[in-house]
Amino acid sequence: MSEPLDMGLRAQAAAIAAGEVDPGELLDAALARIEERNPALNAVVETFPERSREMLAAAPAGPLHGVPLVIKDEWPLPWRAQRFGAAELMTPTAPGESGPYRVLRDAGATIVGVGNMHELGAGSTGALSYYGAAHNPWDTERCPGGSSSGPAAAVAGRLVAGAVGADGLGSVRLPAAYCGLTGLKPTFGRSAMEGHHLAPITNLIVSGPLCADAGDCRLLGSVLCGEELAAGDAAAGLRIGVVRDPVSEDVTPEVAAACEEAVEALRAATGGELRELALPDLEAASLAGILIINSEAMSGATPEKLNRLSPELSPIARGTLKYAMLLPAAAVTQAQRLRTLMRRRLAALFAEVDVIAWPTVPAPAPPLDAPVVELPSGTRSADQANVRGAALANLTGIPAISMPVGLSEDGLPLALQLQGAWGADELLLDAAEALERANGRRWVDAVPPLAEASATEA
Amino acid sequence: MTESAPSDEGFIPAGLAALGIEADETDLAVMAAFHGLLWPPLAELLALDTGDVEPERCPDLSRGPRL
Repeated sequence: MSEPLDMGLRAQAAAIAAGEVDPGELLDAALARIEERNPALNAVVETFPERSREMLAAAPAGPLHGVPLVIKDEWPLPWRAQRFGAAELMTPTAPGESGPYRVLRDAGATIVGVGNMHELGAGSTGALSYYGAAHNPWDTERCPGGSSSGPAAAVAGRLVAGAVGADGLGSVRLPAAYCGLTGLKPTFGRSAMEGHHLAPITNLIVSGPLCADAGDCRLLGSVLCGEELAAGDAAAGLRIGVVRDPVSEDVTPEVAAACEEAVEALRAATGGELRELALPDLEAASLAGILIINSEAMSGATPEKLNRLSPELSPIARGTLKYAMLLPAAAVTQAQRLRTLMRRRLAALFAEVDVIAWPTVPAPAPPLDAPVVELPSGTRSADQANVRGAALANLTGIPAISMPVGLSEDGLPLALQLQGAWGADELLLDAAEALERANGRRWVDAVPPLAEASATEA
Repeated sequence: MTESAPSDEGFIPAGLAALGIEADETDLAVMAAFHGLLWPPLAELLALDTGDVEPERCPDLSRGPRL
């Protein structure tokens, strides 16, 4: 048996259920691993061993009994208010039983730590945070992705086998892509969100699992959704829509080649077919997502509050919060009209195809100290480049999954995104598993250098 | 790309003054950079003719739209 902490989520849960692994020892191992590796990753911003042991002592039998997990700094816990990666929020927060906390507790899981995140959830790199940047286990000088930077770095660094993130404009899928993980953005409203300070008003943000592979995402996703995301053969004869647009073409050659190879492998594995699709206004849809999430995030903001912002907020956060106050209401209304248009276009497309595929990110993880990417169209900030392929699923409510499909010359993960119709979360997991089988699990089983030592020792 | 952006020297100070929001030089520099990135596509979004898009009443994002 390999080191229990290096097993996947399903394997850990099964080994505990079979009495092969002691959950107390697994928790201690996770805490020790965090102590050992977190200085290089800054993935976990707080641990609370006594609380974790209390959770374990009270843990019911459940699908995640005794399994240690990390939760993003985006929901309260009974003993800790979320900070949202920032020195200050526009909306007050307090400790409490959030939805994700409840479902994890009721599934028997142990929360071992809180995951770092990009400040205010407002970035796709993880380079900026109240707690300092999180680091990518594949190269600690690189961005881990965001905004669920800590959850992704924690899973990729094998601190834990699963983590709960949140996805408002790609914030589960983008760090999954940068860190070589599988990340599911469930259909809007399907996964636990209660307790998130924007839960009452958001039409974009969902909780979602980050794990090594689709099977683990299915397990953790089922817990988050409160219903089984059942495995099936829905991916048989998969009709894959491919969009020839900047999301597929304005990408690095390595990303293009890996994703094309993966799409063809998925088609062959499922006995499916490829169809070229037109999906106009994707760039505008990304902006629509930005405008709507900005309007949600500014709920409760007043000029007076903006004049009293904490000096500990980053200059970028201070400036963008103030700028967001100036955005014209007409633009938000136009964004909502575009959302309607894109939802109708997608509904029509999903009558013709089962999934729409394009690269999750146009380039692998950039350096933390210069988060820009070189694309055929020129140099862009990673945030600007990443949101283009991520925002549509949030804007329209559809589910999406990111899965690893290769490594760059520099040894950095490359990733493919599949998007499905509303409620097709299970189909996306089936398709991701089909692709894993097709490529021999080569990429989901790849281990970053930082975690290689323990994997080979076992 | 920033050619179509209204001058941040006018738009931003005027907006801040109208709302009574204070900003130091760093705030203004960040806002100007964000404005240069955001405003051109925002202007394109505003220019999209969506007049024939029938609004979706109380959209339920967990489901597809009624067609």
